[in-house]
Amino acid sequence: MNIVQKIGLLAIGLAAGLTVHAQSVDFNAEPFELVSQVSNALFDDINQNRAVYEDNPAGLENVVREIFIPLLDKNRSARLILGRHGRGLDPEKIDAFADALLNQLVNRYSEGLLEFDSRDLVEVLPLAGKNTDRQTRVRTRIELSNGEKAPVDYILRKTDDGWKAFDVIIEGISYVATYRNQFGEEISRDGFDQVLDRLQSGSIALQ
Amino acid sequence: MTNSSAKRFSRVGVAALAVSLSLLTGCATTSGERDPRDPWESFNRGSFEFNRDLDKAIVRPIAKAYHYVTPDLLEQGISNVVTNLSYPVTIVNLLLQGKFADFGEALGRFVLNSTFGIGGLLDPATIEGIPRHNEDFGQTFAVWGWEESPFLMLPFLGPSTLRDGIGLVPEIYTDGVSIAANEFDRYEPLVADVLTLRVNLFDLDDDLEEAADPYLLVRDAYLQSREFDIADGETDLPDYDDFLDEEE
Repeated sequence: MNIVQKIGLLAIGLAAGLTVHAQSVDFNAEPFELVSQVSNALFDDINQNRAVYEDNPAGLENVVREIFIPLLDKNRSARLILGRHGRGLDPEKIDAFADALLNQLVNRYSEGLLEFDSRDLVEVLPLAGKNTDRQTRVRTRIELSNGEKAPVDYILRKTDDGWKAFDVIIEGISYVATYRNQFGEEISRDGFDQVLDRLQSGSIALQ
Repeated sequence: MTNSSAKRFSRVGVAALAVSLSLLTGCATTSGERDPRDPWESFNRGSFEFNRDLDKAIVRPIAKAYHYVTPDLLEQGISNVVTNLSYPVTIVNLLLQGKFADFGEALGRFVLNSTFGIGGLLDPATIEGIPRHNEDFGQTFAVWGWEESPFLMLPFLGPSTLRDGIGLVPEIYTDGVSIAANEFDRYEPLVADVLTLRVNLFDLDDDLEEAADPYLLVRDAYLQSREFDIADGETDLPDYDDFLDEEE
C-alpha cells in the first residue's frame, strides 16, 4: 500500500472498528473486548446484508450512521482537530463541526466496507505498550485483498459512558493529526465559520 | 510495510537530486506557520507543483491507459515482479540494521518467489504466510541514529527527507529495477515500476485534488508514515494533550 492510499483507509478503518449493533456489544467492556465485539458485529451484519447494501449504499450508510456515532467520542476528535481554533468557540459550534465531519466520513467511505469479505480479515492484537486506565491503544491488523496486512490502531479514552475511540492510526498515519493540519490551514485562511459552512454543505472533501 | 512514492531511482533521479540540493541554498522563506521539520518549504512547494504538473500532463494519463488495457491478472503479475526485483533493498537493510531473523525470512521470501514464483510473477511467499518486510537505506540511517532530517520534496521522485534522499544513492546498486536500467540498459522494469506505483495511487487522486492544502497532506502523511516504518510500527502516539493546550 502506498502512503496516500492509507489516508483513504483511515476513514474506512474508523468505521470498521467502531460500528456495531447495539444489542450485541457490551458498552462497558474493556478496550480489547470492545474493539473485537464491534468489529465482529459489523462484519457479521455486512456479510448478511451484502447484496442489499451493494444495491443500496444509502442503506449501508444508515446502518453505519445509526450505530457508529454513539460509539465515538466525536467531540474529543473535533476538539483535537481544531486545537487552538476551537478555543472560545460555542460548544454548539464544535458539536456542529464534529457532526459535519462525521457525516462526510460516513458518506464517503461506508462503501469501502463492502470490500472486506469476512470478520476473519480483522485481527485484534493483545494490548501492548503504554496503556493507562484512561487511555488505551488497541492494535488491529486488517488483511487486504493482496494478502498484505494493514496495521490499524484505535485510540480509546475512558469517559463517563465507557471507553470511546477518538483517533485511528493507519500504518502510522493519525486521522486526528492529519485532519488537524488540513483544517488548521483552512481555518487560519478563511475563518472557522466559513469552513464549517463548507463542511456542512459537503463542499469540503475529506482526505 | 509501505512503499514511498519516491522509492525508485535512475540516472534521471540522480540528476534531480543534484539539482535539488544545489537549489536549496537559494530558498526564500515562506509566510504562514513554519514547521521546524520543513525549513525548505518554499523550494519544496515549488517542487511539489512541478511534480503535480508533470503527473497531470504525462504520468497519470499513461498510467490510466496502462491500467485500462492491461488485464488485472497480468497487472498483478507485473506488480509482483517489480516488487520482487526491488526486494534486495529490504534484504540488505535488514542485515545492516542487525535484524538477522527477519533477514533470513526476507532472503527466504526472495528465493522462493524468484524460483517457484517464476521470477516473482507469482507470490507463493505470501501464500505461505511469509511476511513482507519493508526496509531501505533511509530507515537504516535513522536506526543508526540520524533520526531528524528536514523534509525534502524531490523533483520527479516525490516526498522525501534529506536523509531518505541520500539513502536513494546506495539503493541504485541494490534495487534490481535500477540495476536493470543502469547496468543492462533494460528500462522495462523501471517503466513497469513507475506505472504500478502510480496505479496504486489512483484512489486518492480526488482526495488530493480537493484537500485544503495538498502539499501539507502529502508532507504530513509522508513524515508520519516514515516514522512508523522506521520504528517498525512501534511509534509513540501524537501528543493529544498538546493538541488541546497549544499556544498561539
